[in-house]
Amino acid sequence: MVNVTLRVNGETRSASVPPETTLLRLLRDQFNLTGSKLGCDVGDCGACTVIVDGQPVNSCLMLVGQVEGREVLTIEGLANADHLYPLQKLFEHFGSLQCGFCGPGVIMSAKALLDENPDPSTEEIRDALGGNLCRCTGYTKMIEAIKGASCILRGEEAPLVKSA
Amino acid sequence: MKSFEFFAAKDSSDAVTLLAQHAANAKVKIIAGGTDLLADLKFAAHGPDVVVDISHVDDLKNITLTEQGLNIGALVTHTQIMRSPLIRQFFPALVDAAHTIGAVQTRNLGTLGGNLVTAVPSMDSGPTLMALEAIVTIAGNGGRRQVPLNEFFVGPRKTILKPDELLAEIIIPKQNLGKPTHFLKFGLRKGQALALVNVAASFWVDWEKNVFLAPRIGLGAVAPKVIRAPQAEAYLEGRTISAEAMAEAGRVAVGDAKPISDFRASAEYRRHLVAVLTKRALESAWTLAQTRRLEGWNGQRNA
Amino acid sequence: MAEKPKVIEKPDVLERPDILKPQAPAPLVAFPIEVVVPEGRQQTPAVGQRASRADGRLHGLGQTKYIDDMYFPNMLFAKIKRAGIASARIKNIDTKEAEAMPGVVAVITGRDIPCNSFGPSLKDQPVLADTRVFHAGDGVAAVAAVSEQIATEALEKIKVDYEVLTPVLDPLESLKLETPGVHAPSANIYGHKVIKKGDVEKAFAESDHVFEGTFRTQMVEHVPLEPYACIAQWDANGRVTIYSTLGRITLGRADVARTLGIPMSRIRIVATVVGGNFGGKNEIRAEPAMALLSKKTGRPVKCVFTRSEEFTSSTTRHPLIMDYKTGVTKQGKILGRKIRLVLDGGAYCSWSETTLGKACILSAGPYNIENLYAEAFVVYTNKTMTGAMRGFGAPQVCFAYESHMDDIAKALGIDPLEIRLLNAFDEGSLSPTSQKLHSVVVKESLLRAAKRFGWNGIGDGVGNGNGA
Ligand SMILES: Cc1cc2nc3c(=O)[nH]c(=O)nc-3n(C[C@H](O)[C@H](O)[C@H](O)COP(=O)(O)OP(=O)(O)OC[C@H]3O[C@@H](n4cnc5c(N)ncnc54)[C@H](O)[C@@H]3O)c2cc1C
Ligand code: FES
Ligand code: FES
Repeated sequence: MVNVTLRVNGETRSASVPPETTLLRLLRDQFNLTGSKLGCDVGDCGACTVIVDGQPVNSCLMLVGQVEGREVLTIEGLANADHLYPLQKLFEHFGSLQCGFCGPGVIMSAKALLDENPDPSTEEIRDALGGNLCRCTGYTKMIEAIKGASCILRGEEAPLVKSA
Repeated sequence: MKSFEFFAAKDSSDAVTLLAQHAANAKVKIIAGGTDLLADLKFAAHGPDVVVDISHVDDLKNITLTEQGLNIGALVTHTQIMRSPLIRQFFPALVDAAHTIGAVQTRNLGTLGGNLVTAVPSMDSGPTLMALEAIVTIAGNGGRRQVPLNEFFVGPRKTILKPDELLAEIIIPKQNLGKPTHFLKFGLRKGQALALVNVAASFWVDWEKNVFLAPRIGLGAVAPKVIRAPQAEAYLEGRTISAEAMAEAGRVAVGDAKPISDFRASAEYRRHLVAVLTKRALESAWTLAQTRRLEGWNGQRNA
Repeated sequence: MAEKPKVIEKPDVLERPDILKPQAPAPLVAFPIEVVVPEGRQQTPAVGQRASRADGRLHGLGQTKYIDDMYFPNMLFAKIKRAGIASARIKNIDTKEAEAMPGVVAVITGRDIPCNSFGPSLKDQPVLADTRVFHAGDGVAAVAAVSEQIATEALEKIKVDYEVLTPVLDPLESLKLETPGVHAPSANIYGHKVIKKGDVEKAFAESDHVFEGTFRTQMVEHVPLEPYACIAQWDANGRVTIYSTLGRITLGRADVARTLGIPMSRIRIVATVVGGNFGGKNEIRAEPAMALLSKKTGRPVKCVFTRSEEFTSSTTRHPLIMDYKTGVTKQGKILGRKIRLVLDGGAYCSWSETTLGKACILSAGPYNIENLYAEAFVVYTNKTMTGAMRGFGAPQVCFAYESHMDDIAKALGIDPLEIRLLNAFDEGSLSPTSQKLHSVVVKESLLRAAKRFGWNGIGDGVGNGNGA
């Protein structure tokens, strides 16, 4: 067993788990934060993406021992009872998620991007989503939502989607 | 994943001590970014008994200019390479190579050292570092030793590292600082795809005679390990720079490659890619050489 | 008379909704969740719009509960041992060592299944292989343990004694009558369809040119982002509740009833939000085995496939081998077409019959062909079973007939757009099965598309202008 203490969504949490436990399992099974999903368990799909110390990572590829003392942000840490994070709002508005399974990972990747780059180009958004697979919706509506959210976070009006 | 004991090293000497302690009577594995190791261990029938975590070892996370050249700590992540002002300045090819690895999430975790130690022939850091004649520093209980990267790789997934040793740093020797280099990768898609073939080309220019000097070509995914292309290099050495020479060097490089057919591509297709990518990498390195000259770099080999 | 659908006119100028403004007057409240439930039969101006979904809010919050997000007190975790051999006879399965492992609560094999066969049409799939292995992804035993890790480790302790048999892997081999049956004594050809119209041989004789081509497509996995998952809970009254990623719960319930040998009234299947289906979650997989493990242990049992199992042990899209022969006039008018399709059905039938039918009907393409002979076979092989996947065979034949059209156009030196306009369906055309077609806009669509992407005729030989 290893004992780990880390910060998750602003709270200090501890657990004692087998050393082979991944961060994803820790979040889901120990802390009941089931927003992060297991899609492949080998780093390919991005459904497990969380932000560790400001950087998006595959939580299925980190051992619990490696997150000792780190700051982890998951999809559950974005909204509070009063406010949705703009990305969540616009993903809903643009219908950017169909089955939704990829959503938490995609939104965390996008959040990390916007934290670092408040006005990303389409190319930069595509690069940031390169590690997130979506089988239903595709990426066009996600990119629209991320662009829109970047406007709102900068205090500007979000563009309307041009119809075909 | 099979169960194992877990130890986190505080610094590189602690890591070496931990390795020495456990390697004698147990199967030990180092974990850095874990992007290769964990993906493997999840399917492995037999896992290690002990895992030594070096991801918090800060003394192997530096990128510095030293007497020897540009030293890159083994734990530098691909993201750090992309952002390092020193690397961006001297070796945009390394930045390009890092950018093609996996995706943002994997680049944030995956380290340069891990990429080299995994030693798959398609690794994207390999060709550029081979073309730049990199040297690696290996740390063990008995001290440190240095070997050329060329000799570090033994075969697919095999290096000369002993179980109680770790890769400490990667050094690009001083005489190659700023050497115009270009990296190209061909994968089936842009993100999250392994290379069907990857190529790096590097050369100095004798501006008076307009000839190639010290041309170096690194090829990945076309042999059991990352290789240089000696015939193509010999062809270019001292030859007048021209589009035809670069195209011919690409064709010659095909003779240096020994690709196999697998589910990603046929050997024939890989040979075609070697010719095309080598030519294009040379062309882009040539463009870089010219730009740098205009920008007032001393585009000569530092004596 | 049914009420006429309400049509909301598409406004000329779209108004910027509040949510796209930085200081939205309405607070950005996450809770309570207020969902606009669309009125029945309401037609919205959909094309080019971004329609939000009722479940979009929960998706974005990470609060949608998929099966793997659910937990019941005292729940066990199950793993299935896969054969890893394409064809074999099972001589013996020894589960003793696995059962003795601390943390393992129950192990079952195919012999524990009351009626070990199911399937959406032919009942040819075992829940767990008992006497024969028909493909490498077949399950041979299932373990329920207190953790997924222990269940996985227990799989290695299960010893299976196989007599390895020669597998049938090539569908064309399988088609031959002398090839041993995958499911002997049944024949390997388990579905056959013919569509006949006019006289093809006469049409070929009258044609200026006759072209032939063979086209193949590969096996494709649906790769839903959420792997297959289910939870079964057997209660004290002999009823079982199954939470499953299943897309067709009523059909699934019939199969669960059959395999467990209990009436449907005792089975409750709860369809949860599914993380992508695409046709790959249209029939039961491990549900009966999980129900039995739950019955045996008195505890809820969860099973989630690994990504590898999703590839080896769920359905995939049929690979097709498609032979085309087409007789045309000098101008490119099709006089007759003969087609043979061979569908690689893999080890089990699944939705092969539907796929066979659709592939055959659509195989001639959207073209007026007076003389047609289309014949399709689906055969067993010792490979991962193929089943429903978006289009039921339509994408495969489309690849073939359109490639064939391009080849013909190229050989005749005709613009590939031209040859399609010459042959395409019109309003009122008859389909190969003589269905009268309405709202046909093939030609209009082609012309518009050609205009949109700047079609410039036959193509310039450097990659521009290839394909339609
Ligand atoms: C989704 C995905 C996509 C990927 N795409 C690419 C790609 O496009 N191109 C590419 O080249 N690679 C790719 N990779 C592979 C991988 O990300 C890289 O090889 C990465 O750099 C490995 O570094 P790591 O720190 O994660 O290594 P780890 O997984 O921690 O270790 C890998 C191996 O090296 C050993 N090791 C690590 N560091 C040291 C050290 N300092 N000394 C001694 N031994 C050490 C470990 O024991 C282990 O055997 C991909 C991986 C994933 C999961
Ligand atoms: S589950 Fe981690 S990347 Fe797919
Ligand atoms: S919405 Fe289903 S995978 Fe993205």
